[in-house]
Amino acid sequence: MPRSSRPSAPRTALAAAIALTAALTACSAPGESDSDTGSGSGPIKIAVVNARSGQLSSLGDWEYKGAKLAIDEWNDKGGINGRKIELKSFDDQGDPTAGTNLARKIDSENYIAMIGTAESAVTIAMAPVLQQAEIPNITSGQSDGLVALKSPFLFLNGPTSTTYDTTLAKYLIQDKGYKKIAMITNNGSFGKGEHDAFAKAAKDLGVTPVTDQVVTTDQKEFSAALTAIRSKKPEVVFIGSEEVEAGLIVKQARELGITVPFAGAAPQGTPVFIDTAGKEAAEGTIVSSPYLSNDISPAAQKFAAAYEAAYDEEAELHGAKAYDGATILLTALKNSDVATGKKLADAIRATHHDGLLGQFRYGPDGVGITRTTIGVIQDGKLVEQK
Amino acid sequence: MQDTLQTLVGGLSLGAVYALVAMGFSLVYRTMGLVNFAHADIAMIGAYAASTFYLTSQLPFAVSMVVAIVITGVIGLVIERVLRPLENKDFDLMLIGTIGFGIVLQALAIIIWGTTGRAVPSPLDSAPLDVFGIRVRTYDLLVMAVAALAVVSLAYFLSRTKRGAAMQAVAMDHEAATAVGIDVGRSNALAFAIGAGLAALAGGLVGPMLYVDASLGGALGIKGFAAAMLGGFGSIPGAVVGGIAIGVLDSYAAGHFQGYSVLVTFLVFTVAIMVRPMGIFGERTVSRA
Repeated sequence: MPRSSRPSAPRTALAAAIALTAALTACSAPGESDSDTGSGSGPIKIAVVNARSGQLSSLGDWEYKGAKLAIDEWNDKGGINGRKIELKSFDDQGDPTAGTNLARKIDSENYIAMIGTAESAVTIAMAPVLQQAEIPNITSGQSDGLVALKSPFLFLNGPTSTTYDTTLAKYLIQDKGYKKIAMITNNGSFGKGEHDAFAKAAKDLGVTPVTDQVVTTDQKEFSAALTAIRSKKPEVVFIGSEEVEAGLIVKQARELGITVPFAGAAPQGTPVFIDTAGKEAAEGTIVSSPYLSNDISPAAQKFAAAYEAAYDEEAELHGAKAYDGATILLTALKNSDVATGKKLADAIRATHHDGLLGQFRYGPDGVGITRTTIGVIQDGKLVEQK
Repeated sequence: MQDTLQTLVGGLSLGAVYALVAMGFSLVYRTMGLVNFAHADIAMIGAYAASTFYLTSQLPFAVSMVVAIVITGVIGLVIERVLRPLENKDFDLMLIGTIGFGIVLQALAIIIWGTTGRAVPSPLDSAPLDVFGIRVRTYDLLVMAVAALAVVSLAYFLSRTKRGAAMQAVAMDHEAATAVGIDVGRSNALAFAIGAGLAALAGGLVGPMLYVDASLGGALGIKGFAAAMLGGFGSIPGAVVGGIAIGVLDSYAAGHFQGYSVLVTFLVFTVAIMVRPMGIFGERTVSRA
């Protein structure tokens, strides 16, 4: 590589790099002054942390919209004890390191609770800091690794991978009678959780997968793994990866001539998955989810209508999860007279909420829902399998 | 055996794309001695532009590609124009400048197209060919054909046209080239524009194979850069061989090492570069400052 002979060049380069970074970050908000949210006045500050850029940003976007909808509704009704609820969104870019930095920022800026993230890996990275700072966190992650942390400040707004995948394995093996199941999962936190949960659930029912392919989280080309799966002639393929990657896997599988249905958890029920895979390729995908459609209950219909009115797009699972999570947090704040720290965590644990995803009854492990339903994608829509 | 061949087919089409990315890197490097770190992000802009004209404006895929190439060509010209005052003065600053342009392009992509990416349907909807049980996507064949055409055209341009010969002369000795009346600035601008056009070609072609979002440059850039290094930085045939090698290597690594495939790919790459630091077609590298 060519180098300049002038000794000052590296320093100039460094200065330029710093100036550039400064210029690029200048548009982000300046650090806010510490206000006394802990005491009884001023707005109640709640942080929403999610990926707002990158491949996982659609997840973050849904979750932010769901949480904001709940908070706007409460604010319209006058907030809590006459105090407004202030929501602020932080971008973790889907990156655990960025998340850890944000956890410290949330602590230093006196947020009393956090909603998010939609990704288990980032939530797990943030959890120790939040536990130490005693900031309750309601996450949309579903990895069993979240439960393994045993943090009393961490709550899930949906079922864990074990719940999703046990329901799915029972349906595939007992109801459909499939014996030859292939697995493809990614080695990220979500994918690993799905892998372990499904493999265990299948094994408990006496079925060992015919092949077990692991891909990386940023992989986009899967012909090697899919070729191996095709050669085993499975009856169904289990996918454990996020929306976009799952969509690409299904799209490429169809191009390679794999015609059997795919099965998976929440990501496979989303419009992003269906768009990425293509409507035809996604047809017949079997999904285990606590929230199959917007028509399943009057509450869901009301939520879907409000969501549509606010954002001009169709509501789906992740928005509903975040809406439930935010509602639980707000109810706990109301019931505890805007407590913070451990008291707030206890109030969340004590909150019984009949939400969009089901009946939330929190156990000591931070899990409130232990049931999912099986749906199948037909004509680009997820419909309940009765 | 069938699996091995199927894996090879999968690796070849992505390898062709990596080769196009590597060619763009190499072209700018051989003319200016500069690694254009914005190259991968230009490819990302090209992918977005092509997909926008193809999906939103409903233009035919080929026309969308041409428009995307023109747009990125202009971006290449702008970058070269901004960096020109530094030419022959401070290469470190030029390098930092290209990194800066890359970040700016990513930010621009997010402002224009938002944070959520898009899946681009294949422009060829004919069924995959079945050759003795090996499925070959027709689109993959198209990608390989277009890449091959680009290689031949570039080779022809560099060796048979006056402009191309002038660029080669600048690459060899820019002072002597200036003395015989070749406009070095224009030659560099042309190199940047063609490089950027190649990036758009790679990005636009890869759109229907992968997924278009602001981070696409990262995925293409690192493999394309590795391909250029492996082939011998600055060498056009090296870029082609390097690109295909990385694509195929990547594909086999994914088959055998699954979750550790990226690690294995780059370990093999590192060993190859240690054994032969100049790359497969390594020439004496250009040094200009």
